[in-house]
Amino acid sequence: MGFLEWRDDFRIGIPEVDHEHRQLIGLINSLHGRLVGPGQGAGIGEFLGELHAQISAHFALEETVMRSRRYAEFADHKQDHERLLDEIREIMDGYELHGRYDARTLSDALDTWFGEHFRTRDARLHAALATAGD
Amino acid sequence: MSAFRAGLRALFDYADSLLEQAFGARWNPCAQLGALGWLCFWLVAGTGIYLYIFVDTGVTAAYESVESLTHRQWWAGGIMRSLHRYASDAMILLAGVHLLREFAHDRMRGVRWFAWVTGLLLLPLIYACGVTGYWMVWDRLAQYVAQTTTEWLDALPLFAEPLARNFLDASHLSGRFFTLMAYIHIFAPLALLLFMWVHIQRHSGARVNPERGLAIGTLLMLTALSLTWPAMSQPAADLGTVAAVLPLDWFYLAVYPLIDRHGGAAVWLGVLAAGAVLFALPWLPPLRRPLPAVVDLNNCNGCGRCATDCPFGAIEMAPRTDAAAYTQQALVDPDRCVSCGLCVGACPTATPFRRAAALQAGIELPELRAAELRDQVVAIGGGLTVRPRILVFHCEHSAPLPHADASLGIVPLPCIGMLPPSFLDFVLSRGHADGILLAGCRSGECHFRLGDRFTEERIAGLRDPALRERVPRERVGLTWCGTTERRRRLADLGAFRSALLQAPAAVSAPVHGRTAWRLAAQAGVYTVSALLIGTVSCWPNYRQLEPDAAVVKLSFSHAAQRVEACAQLTTAELARLPINMRVRTNCRRDRWPVTVDLVFDGKLLYHGTHLAAGLQNDGPSTIYRRFAVPAGPHALTVRIRDTGRTSGYDYEASRGITLRPGRSFVIDFASAGTGFTFRGSEG
Ligand code: HEM
Ligand code: SF4
Ligand code: SF4
Ligand SMILES: [Fe+2]
Ligand SMILES: [Fe+2]
Repeated sequence: MGFLEWRDDFRIGIPEVDHEHRQLIGLINSLHGRLVGPGQGAGIGEFLGELHAQISAHFALEETVMRSRRYAEFADHKQDHERLLDEIREIMDGYELHGRYDARTLSDALDTWFGEHFRTRDARLHAALATAGD
Repeated sequence: MSAFRAGLRALFDYADSLLEQAFGARWNPCAQLGALGWLCFWLVAGTGIYLYIFVDTGVTAAYESVESLTHRQWWAGGIMRSLHRYASDAMILLAGVHLLREFAHDRMRGVRWFAWVTGLLLLPLIYACGVTGYWMVWDRLAQYVAQTTTEWLDALPLFAEPLARNFLDASHLSGRFFTLMAYIHIFAPLALLLFMWVHIQRHSGARVNPERGLAIGTLLMLTALSLTWPAMSQPAADLGTVAAVLPLDWFYLAVYPLIDRHGGAAVWLGVLAAGAVLFALPWLPPLRRPLPAVVDLNNCNGCGRCATDCPFGAIEMAPRTDAAAYTQQALVDPDRCVSCGLCVGACPTATPFRRAAALQAGIELPELRAAELRDQVVAIGGGLTVRPRILVFHCEHSAPLPHADASLGIVPLPCIGMLPPSFLDFVLSRGHADGILLAGCRSGECHFRLGDRFTEERIAGLRDPALRERVPRERVGLTWCGTTERRRRLADLGAFRSALLQAPAAVSAPVHGRTAWRLAAQAGVYTVSALLIGTVSCWPNYRQLEPDAAVVKLSFSHAAQRVEACAQLTTAELARLPINMRVRTNCRRDRWPVTVDLVFDGKLLYHGTHLAAGLQNDGPSTIYRRFAVPAGPHALTVRIRDTGRTSGYDYEASRGITLRPGRSFVIDFASAGTGFTFRGSEG
């Protein structure tokens, strides 16, 4: 349930990817704040839509970076991106269509949703690029 | 013009429908004419290398070497020769149909001018290859080609001496000229290859290899044609003889009879006028041009998907021009953009799930923004009340749809490839419709080249951005139909509608025809093409000369007298000149024109005045004229005036001659010594 927090050693070393990671963490955290904070869940659907768009663009950029550097685990990483996109769509629809919304579960779901990928796949990418780089 | 274009387009579309039923969408030859052209080029190049090993490029041995290749080595060299000829013919045929087709679809506007103009430039190169190729055989046909080509070139004010004089008779025949042609025949194809490459430079992922099945079919067809109807030579060239009747390859030599009849200058005018119109077409009305795509830096992170997908290479990934933390951004070259929207379909930010107010994609078509598209989808979907509610995304360049009604909503698009897959997810998951039909151009023939392919690949998850797996595929239908295929489109719509009613049963594209029928139809298409190529390459015969006629050629090169005799300067006059100009004999350089009369059986057959060559009229006057006359005994008189006199002649000769049918007779002149010479078929 812990908050995602940006740490300097999350850096992949590719400024634009790092920049987006930081932005995304900020976005997820502010969503988190909205969900549990005062004013409870106003405009969550649209917020999710925005998150979905940003994360789609982020994955596209990260995949381009991986491709251009011939990252060995590209296929696995990309597959995880696709899974995440499917999942956020599930979360969005759950919220939008079925009113399935409980601040705490949604918040947890988002945390595991992105945090997990970030801590494993993106970290591995970071390690690989760091050793290959210099 | 536009009615003609529309008619042609409809015609192509009917042909496409038939071919697609026979070959299937992937093998449809009409959709890959350019690629087939490349195949033929490689075939011609490969067989050409083989021929080059055996064929002598000297004028004396060429004919024999080709004959021996054709007959003694028919099982290899003969087939190679035939393939070389027929693949060259196929290339002209393909280029011609390809040209008409691009014209019919108006694929020459905006950036597309580049492919159009470079395509046109390919034509003279292909012709140069073909014409010099027929020259190489040095048979009667080659002789005709040599004579008419040089006469045609002589109509241009380029050469001091008529090139045609090289083929006046055996005594003028020059091996050097022949070898020059052999070189052109080798280098023109290299230039052609270079230009073919330039031709497709503005097309990303241009298709230069046809589908394998189609390539094999074409090869088999040409081989079968070569075996049943091998390419043969005419009798050996003989400059004293005129072949009265010749089997012309009309693919390459169609204008040659016109040159004979109307003269080289008229045919040049015709060809240049036609060329000028063709070259100008991309800039002739109607000229409406939609606005090019624009990038919004606030929404572009430089992922590069749009640049990958642009079919016209109009997007470049460039260094960032704003202060954002990214290194790259998309940059559209408005001169190359055709406003197809495929880039919008590729951009991950073009998703309708975003806040309506914030929906601004990284790249947009100003005339149909993603936000507008979303609004349309919501509005039109909201108007659907009767189930199954079908929302059709309709490509403006494809077959029409019935009118919209309570169960059919229509959203027009410049190309189906413009639609980001997230829109499908959006429409279906938010219940804006029960099913989505994507209605685009005929499969493999997207107006913008790649829209149908990209759409299918995105739906199949093979191309980014992929349609999410969670989207029920049975609710997404595809209908690819050419402009005239109204009935097929209705059928596809009907099938989709009934499939939706039974959903979740999958909707599968209707399969046309059975395999046996299709194979037979393909064989039929190949046979007709082979017959067309084989026939036009040697039929109908061209009658160059009436049965009992002969040819008289009047040709010489002669420097007339100078207009003024040289003046001898006196010593006093000389002294007045600057020291470096003191020459005692002062000559004006210009010469009189040469006037020639040819009197044939008492009648004036030719009378002409020929100016001296050179900027200062100081060179020789040249004449080259060819006359068809009845065979038999005749009385000839030739007269020349090469001074300023107004009556009488400076040289004159008369001769009684007997012309044999189909032979040629040459009247030449050299002022020094020999005077007039008469050579050829006498008695
Ligand atoms: C044998 C000679 C030729 C060959 C081998 C050839 C080949 C090609 C190829 C491979 C393409 C790309 C098709 C694609 O992947 O979308 C193409 C496109 C094109 N060709 Fe040719 N071509 C030839 C002659 C011509 C001629 C004579 C013209 C007439 C002016 C022409 C006009 C065009 C145009 C306008 C396009 C662009 C179509 C578009 O924008 O979608 N080509 N050609
Ligand atoms: S696809 Fe969109 S985000 Fe990616 S580079 Fe192109 S405009 Fe930018
Ligand atoms: S609209 Fe986009 S994809 Fe189409 S030509 Fe222009 S830049 Fe390329
Ligand atoms: Fe990632
Ligand atoms: Fe990431």
